[in-house]
Amino acid sequence: MTSHPYLLEGLTIRRVLAVTAVCAVASGGIVWLFSNTYADLFLSALCVGYTSMLLFTVAGNIRQEAFPREAVQVAAVVLGSCLGTILAGLVKQRTIAQMFSERLAGVLITMGLGVGVGCVVVATLILREKHSRDQARFHRGESERHQLEKSLLEAKLQLMQAQVEPHFLFNTLANVQHLVETDAAEASRMLASLIHYLRAALPQMRESSTRLGREIEMARAFLEIHCIRMGARLGYAIEVPDTLRERAFPPMMLITLVENAVKHGVDPCCESGTITIRAVENEGKLRVSVEDTGEGIRPKKGGGVGLANIRDRLKALYGNSARLVVEEREPHGVVASIEVPAATPA
Amino acid sequence: MSTPVRAVIADDEPLLRAQLRSRLARLWPGLAVVHEMENGRDIERVLDAHSPALFFLDIHMPGVNGLEAARAIAGRAHVVFVTAFDQYAVEAFERGAIDYVLKPFDEERLELTCARLRERLSERPPRIEELVETIAARLGAASSEHLRWIKASVGSNVRLIPVEEVLFFQSDEKYTRVVTGESEALIRKPIRELLDELDPARFWQIHRATIVNVDHIAGVRRGLKDQAEVSLKGRDETLLVSRGFTHLFKQM
Repeated sequence: MTSHPYLLEGLTIRRVLAVTAVCAVASGGIVWLFSNTYADLFLSALCVGYTSMLLFTVAGNIRQEAFPREAVQVAAVVLGSCLGTILAGLVKQRTIAQMFSERLAGVLITMGLGVGVGCVVVATLILREKHSRDQARFHRGESERHQLEKSLLEAKLQLMQAQVEPHFLFNTLANVQHLVETDAAEASRMLASLIHYLRAALPQMRESSTRLGREIEMARAFLEIHCIRMGARLGYAIEVPDTLRERAFPPMMLITLVENAVKHGVDPCCESGTITIRAVENEGKLRVSVEDTGEGIRPKKGGGVGLANIRDRLKALYGNSARLVVEEREPHGVVASIEVPAATPA
Repeated sequence: MSTPVRAVIADDEPLLRAQLRSRLARLWPGLAVVHEMENGRDIERVLDAHSPALFFLDIHMPGVNGLEAARAIAGRAHVVFVTAFDQYAVEAFERGAIDYVLKPFDEERLELTCARLRERLSERPPRIEELVETIAARLGAASSEHLRWIKASVGSNVRLIPVEEVLFFQSDEKYTRVVTGESEALIRKPIRELLDELDPARFWQIHRATIVNVDHIAGVRRGLKDQAEVSLKGRDETLLVSRGFTHLFKQM
């Protein structure tokens, strides 16, 4: 037993006292039915009670998967009652033969009482344990739900902040500053794009749901600005059928993909690159993708924060029927696509 | 008239190079911009060919950035950093008395910088290497040495999976299974190699064949013998923790 101390786990002093008390009360309850003395009955009861308790404890801790734990525990109590009754007989200096002949009635009664009382006690214990397990599971579910709510809230907060990167804003303004002096028409075009972009990107100006067309226009404004800034290094194309522009599409997801395509795709690559935005409807899914011909993703490069945010929000909005997939493009570059259920026009 | 001060401008945005050039022409007639660069490459060649006394370096440039360029210049010319917005870098520049200008350019500020440079040009360029190293380390902290993306073939495509999404890796004969909340893929990289490249704070080996993402663990249950089982958030299956790794989950 010493090599398996866990088998006796739960055999507390409290449990021993409780069993003793049950035995005392039960003996007191039946003493008027028999000719035996109270002490004699109490001794039998203790033998049955302790044996059952020991086997019940072991049955609860034994590691097996073949039978339900409760069934094994009940079986342990039945077996414990039988063995306990025999033990009681031995303690009272009777032989086994005596027990199964002249004293058979008493033995059967003791066993029966042991099984009866034992089962009531065990049923109470099992129910109580099940209740506390349910309670624990409920709490666990609750805390998982809290966790989910928390991460959603974080995703939303992140969405509200830092959409307009100061680096982007100041660099664009520096370009405008120069163009104002050298090419007023181009300056005005760039300012118009910046205004368009800011209108969509500033949280106060954002709507909770949006049409795909609106997201495309925001991305276009962003790409226009970068085309002026990066000169010949950047080109872009938008291949989105007019019929899909009125479709509902979650806000600020497309722009994140486009920003990544510029920042992590084309910009780090010294040669020129092209970004293509596509939208197709297929088998009830609306798939919007951003493809860049940039340097591709190196396994140790960061840049997944915006993507994690998109994934969290897709999960909250559509459950498992939406997804974000990032893939490598041949011969170089990345394609990131968002797939959502194709709903009716917004 | 004395010989002009030779300067080089490095910025990946052509309009911003043009702007800086025209501003400098106005504020510092004695300065000649002898060369323009799109990034910080070929510093040696530029030093040889143009022997500039002064570099204006944008910090963010593709390829070789301004900090790396400053490192390559190694005190052979004066350096002025140009940046749109890098709070940390700007603070460091202030503390280290390094010359810098912010985009969009503020005329007065640029003028002040030019005046300071004129005074300093006769001296040896100040030593800024140490400071550049600290700033570079700080700005580059985002790109860690740990694996951030898993490349896995799915059909004819190569899927890119951010490591945060991976619930666990499990070796499966020749391949390694990569399991995320919504999909599963096979990669060739063995568990042992993954262990070396993944962030050890987030990815724990719990079995000879299994690496789990700690962020996705829901709970740990003691199992048969000295083993344990890890359950994952939002999933029914459990992962076996073998005897050698159960210490990871001892009371923390």
